[in-house]
Amino acid sequence: MKLDEAFRNYREKIVDRWVEYTLSTYKSSSFFIKEKDKFANPVGGNTREALDALFGLLAKNADPQEFVAPLEQIMRIRAIQEFAASVAVGPIHAVKHITREILSKDKERCHLVQELYDFEFAVDLAVLAAFDLYMQCRERLYQVRIKEIKTGNYILTDSKCPTNLLKINIQESLKTVENH
Amino acid sequence: MAVPKLEQLSKSVVQGPSLATGAVPTKDWMDIPAIFKPGNYAYQAKQEKVAYLNSQPGLSFPNAREWSPEDDDWKLPEGWKDIILKGLKERLDKFRSLKIFMDCCVRCGACADKCHFFLGTGDPKNMPVLRAELLRSVYRNDFTIGGKILGKMAGAREMTVGVLKEWFMYSYQCTECRRCSVFCPYGIDTAEVTMMLRELLHLVGVGINWILEPASNSNRTGNHMGLQPHTFKDNVDFLADDVENLTGIKINTSFNRKGAEVLFITPSADVFAEPGLYTAMGYLLLFEHIGLDYTWSTYASEGGNFGLFTNNELMKKLNGKMYAEAKRLGVKYIIGGECGHMWRVVHQYMDTMNGPADFLEVPKSSVTGTTFNNAASTKMVHISEFTADLIRHGKLKLDKSRNAHVKATFHDSCNPARAMGLMDEPRYILDHVVDNWVEMPENTIREQTFCCGSGTGLNTDEIMELRMRAGLPRANAVKHVIDKHDVNTLSCVCAIDRATLTSLMDYWNPGCKVCGVSELVGNALVMDGENRQELDEGLRTLV
Repeated sequence: MKLDEAFRNYREKIVDRWVEYTLSTYKSSSFFIKEKDKFANPVGGNTREALDALFGLLAKNADPQEFVAPLEQIMRIRAIQEFAASVAVGPIHAVKHITREILSKDKERCHLVQELYDFEFAVDLAVLAAFDLYMQCRERLYQVRIKEIKTGNYILTDSKCPTNLLKINIQESLKTVENH
Repeated sequence: MAVPKLEQLSKSVVQGPSLATGAVPTKDWMDIPAIFKPGNYAYQAKQEKVAYLNSQPGLSFPNAREWSPEDDDWKLPEGWKDIILKGLKERLDKFRSLKIFMDCCVRCGACADKCHFFLGTGDPKNMPVLRAELLRSVYRNDFTIGGKILGKMAGAREMTVGVLKEWFMYSYQCTECRRCSVFCPYGIDTAEVTMMLRELLHLVGVGINWILEPASNSNRTGNHMGLQPHTFKDNVDFLADDVENLTGIKINTSFNRKGAEVLFITPSADVFAEPGLYTAMGYLLLFEHIGLDYTWSTYASEGGNFGLFTNNELMKKLNGKMYAEAKRLGVKYIIGGECGHMWRVVHQYMDTMNGPADFLEVPKSSVTGTTFNNAASTKMVHISEFTADLIRHGKLKLDKSRNAHVKATFHDSCNPARAMGLMDEPRYILDHVVDNWVEMPENTIREQTFCCGSGTGLNTDEIMELRMRAGLPRANAVKHVIDKHDVNTLSCVCAIDRATLTSLMDYWNPGCKVCGVSELVGNALVMDGENRQELDEGLRTLV
């Protein structure tokens, strides 16, 4: 029995456990796990889609560059939810433990656990990439905030009337001129 | 071996337990306190804004003070609990709907998974049913026999500071979009429960700045921005100049002109902030195209009604201002621009607050002769209804190829869609002004549309993460049509949408632009005597 065949046979089971574990990090996880419609359940749907795609790539030892698309799909969501960085990224790791556990319970395939080095190394690379993507998302979030402030939507609240602001600006620049 | 390892993996070693959400709650919802930390709450209202509003005739915003949601002591007034309970009693007597909503919910859960805040956060207290229970539990405790006798067993609980803090947390994690009420078999309008929670909180001086400052600006100068009349006029004139530079068409504008046929009112963001500016340029071109006899008002210079997000007295006052101005100018009827909650107020509350507006005429288009009987009482027509009618009668010269750079989809803005049933008119317009537009998935449009995630005064940058979570269901559907159909433009008919969806797209779907439907109309209009430049990006082209 070969490892790639075991991955094929167990793909659904491993991915199901992985998705369930990832979604269990949410306070009310049962709906996220149960509802399969991606539009009625964006967190669950995207998590399922992304982890399934990622597993396929990990199992076939794909180019790590290919991990980016599915990882981004999931990290973009987790980066803006109330997770510590480690908890946001942590579930990517879980597939190592889940795969080991599932294979070791199968008497015919338990010997394959010894051959998981490449797979687990690929998972390590995915976890590292997930950290980078997490940070990219956080940075993008701050950029969005800065852009919103710059485009003037903040004027809705944080200012007095613009004419008045103009007066203040003129007074301030006068002061600067005086100081020189 | 593996299972304990996995449990370890789900917890952060570095962070405290409050940040690691870690799986299924182990406590009853009533025992989980609301904890405020930077980023999860909108800033409290400034003392002077509350004091100003409180000083205005007919309004009551007591307990102006310096305070912070992060402090243990919120400096509530003496006897705050009695104030809240008395306020609740008054509202139960005054609003029959509230009494029914408190009594008739059977907690079937049909609404539970329909809220964008729940879908984005996974927080059970964002299930509309549970958000309403925050108030209902107190109602049971003090206003029902069962609750008085059985207490917690009957789902009742006493009003405490902790409960008040929870109300503040979750009534500002609801955008009153009313998607949940579409699915409620009893027709409970959970948005009205949120409105009551916010009203009660204002009785003890608990409110957010992003609502109360625009509201006080509106009361003072007529618009959210606090623009004074000359500034408002200048901004519209700047836009008219821009239109002339782009198209060679001189736009005639008029302000506060008595005897005009129509008063035009739109959100002030349309004349002040991107990308609403381009929508406003669309209005200017459209009205010029048909030679409409209309006027802007520098006093009723705001369609948006932030009173809706505070209390019914302020909502009534801000709505009344539009009609007072229409009366003063002696116009026949009002055309309203692309706005969200202005239309909810006009369509659902205006009539009982300030209506019927009998001093105006039932709107009748002078160009097509169509009478808008749907607006027979409020005398106010939506720009999309008005435009669709013009197209239907062949009164507009349109060239779709001028929108060749646009591959659009349409976001039903919550209030026009769910509160006034405006769903087909914007689509009819899109059919005639762009070659390419596609629908998002069925369970995310029309009545089932997902909110932008930042409505009801939550469009403030300190809660950006919360807004991104709440906007996930909408952004997710947009991503689908981007991936599948190469959509590059998200069109809508609401000013808050135009501001908030822009940020939402910048995070979730960078590169996707946001525009008003009237901007696309403006792009496509063929004007008599035009001297139009090469406008590769329509009215957004820099020349």
